Amino acid sequence: MPLIQMTDSLLRVRDLVVQFRLPEGDVTAVDNVSFDVAPGEVLGIVGESGSGKSQILFSLMGLLAGNGRVSGAAHFAGQDLLAMPPRALDQVRGVAMSMIFQDPMTSLSPYKRVGDQLAEGLIVHKGLSRREAGREAGRMLDRVRIPDAARRARSYPHEFSGGMRQRVMIAMALLVKPQLLLADEPTTALDVTIQAQIIDILAELAREMGTAIIFVTHDLGVVARLCDRVIVLYGGRIMEEGPAAPLFAAPAHPYAKGLLHATPRIAAPLSPRLETIAGTPRAGGAMLPGCPFASRCDQRIDICQTAQPPLKVIAPGRLSACHLTGNAA
Amino acid sequence: MLRFLTTRAGDGILTLAALVTLTFFVMRLAPGGPFSSNRKISPDILANIEATYHLDEPLLQQFLRYVWGVVRFDFGPSIRFRDYSVADILISGLPYSLTIGLWAVLVATVTGVTLGILGALKRNSIIDYSAGVIAVIGIAVPIFVLAPLMQVYFALTLRWLPVGGWGDSWRNLVLPIVALSLPNIAYISRLTRAAMIETLRENYIRTAMAKGIGGRRVVWNHALTGAVLPVVAYLGPATAAIITGSIVIETIFALPGIGRHFVDAALNRDYPLVMGITILYGGFLIVFNTLADILRGWLDPRVRNE
Ligand SMILES: Nc1ncnc2c1ncn2[C@@H]1O[C@H](COP(=O)(O)OP(=O)(O)OP(=O)(O)O)[C@@H](O)[C@H]1O
Ligand code: SF4
Ligand SMILES: [Mg+2]
Repeated sequence: MPLIQMTDSLLRVRDLVVQFRLPEGDVTAVDNVSFDVAPGEVLGIVGESGSGKSQILFSLMGLLAGNGRVSGAAHFAGQDLLAMPPRALDQVRGVAMSMIFQDPMTSLSPYKRVGDQLAEGLIVHKGLSRREAGREAGRMLDRVRIPDAARRARSYPHEFSGGMRQRVMIAMALLVKPQLLLADEPTTALDVTIQAQIIDILAELAREMGTAIIFVTHDLGVVARLCDRVIVLYGGRIMEEGPAAPLFAAPAHPYAKGLLHATPRIAAPLSPRLETIAGTPRAGGAMLPGCPFASRCDQRIDICQTAQPPLKVIAPGRLSACHLTGNAA
Repeated sequence: MLRFLTTRAGDGILTLAALVTLTFFVMRLAPGGPFSSNRKISPDILANIEATYHLDEPLLQQFLRYVWGVVRFDFGPSIRFRDYSVADILISGLPYSLTIGLWAVLVATVTGVTLGILGALKRNSIIDYSAGVIAVIGIAVPIFVLAPLMQVYFALTLRWLPVGGWGDSWRNLVLPIVALSLPNIAYISRLTRAAMIETLRENYIRTAMAKGIGGRRVVWNHALTGAVLPVVAYLGPATAAIITGSIVIETIFALPGIGRHFVDAALNRDYPLVMGITILYGGFLIVFNTLADILRGWLDPRVRNE
């Protein structure tokens, strides 16, 4: 049972597990993750590399690699995304839910004009003519502030810089006016100076359209600035979850503390990166008993190695999975 | 485009010139001559014949004489086939080789690409395994083994098709075309399969899937280009080789193409014919490589600017 129950959630993820089959055995990338997203809400997911952030998003979009298996449920507008056949999912992804990918350099087809890649979704889903769809695409490119958008729509991705390509990706994702946007580190691959611009464009358009966002990022400044709620992920599990401001002000979980340690105040102009925590995430991830963070935790107690700390309510709307954090309920 | 073509034409002429020069002198370095294997010819007569073909002149003079001829599209007389010019021989045989060769290229491309894509989309399925078996047979078993087997089965046992020869009927063409395309079907299907599998792993394919446009559209509209690009590159040189005929096919099926001259002319030291064939093959290579590059540029905008 989830500990925070929303009455009007747009997306309701329950007990999400993502596993990959490998020759040397299965690995669990996402372990029993549950969360909700309300309409128009911005949910941040933070966690270091390999913690399972992208796989959560891929599983929702039906885009897991061939060796991936998913279980659990993800109700979106009344339907379970995880139980849908691909054909039914195609009526949701790219329509009511869209995604921006981590790497703008490789996420657009090198063989097609940018405008055509944008227009395709409108042609297929909304039945627009090539011409109308092209015009809409040009308008959208203009809205993500690509200079000379109508002409640039006829260019190919290799004629764009990384930042411009990510704007194209944003335009593509928002063109269909989705209810939910999955943004997977949309700026990590980009130059620091343009990261803020891109994020602002994205946030502004999403707010205008009333689009909810799941924002996966390494960038705590972005989380603090944009997100309503935050999930701190580690080893495929939720370590801490709560409203952004109080969680940032006083993280409860030792991992979250380490992550946010020495982070300059919220809304700092230059976004701080995740604080590095000594040690490396343990191999095998969530399959082992005990707390996944135990080997790196400086507050570890005996029970941490043997018993998995359950996710508990520690304050209204706040959850933490640590043997040390008390049960406030 | 015009600039590209003029550059390509210039490059082509230079390449051909180098090819002509190299072939001319290397061929003369090889021991023997057009008349060395003949019955004993009296030295007088030999000198006479050599004078007819200007073989008595200094090599450089012969070369210049040849080049001057080529510039005027005169490729000289064949030494072996008296009374025929090199141009006569090539022009009379070329239509046969071209017909069978172009059909073989078409059949090989369509079949190979289709098998490759189906194999990649349905990996480890019956189709994939069948295509794999065809590929192994096509690549490993030589044509001179396959072609006679086909003759025995389809012509002699089933009596569906003629054994060989050139006739008015399309039925004469079937076996040679199939035999000529088999190794290429094999190669192209492997090439396509590997490229398609690699393309399907690309991030932009995931982006396309995320648009919810359906798997079929993703394959045909997005993945196909990446899958056929290596095939296009292969088709340039392959077409030039296939349409200039195959001595094996022409011998087995008794066809009057030009493929047989490739070997015969060299063995007979028929210098002008060897030169003529070299220029023809070189010319085809340049033309088809250029066509392949144009097609590649049309498919891949990144190539266009190079
Ligand atoms: N196809 C696969 N086969 C096996 N393991 C996989 C596969 N794809 C992902 N994984 C594993 O799943 C885990 C979670 O990966 P994920 O991509 O979600 O990380 P992430 O949190 O997005 O990291 P990053 O910040 O680097 O993008 C990683 O340990 C990764 O190695
Ligand atoms: S459960 Fe134990 S090891 Fe895990 S974070 Fe809490 S104190 Fe550290
Ligand atoms: Mg990721």
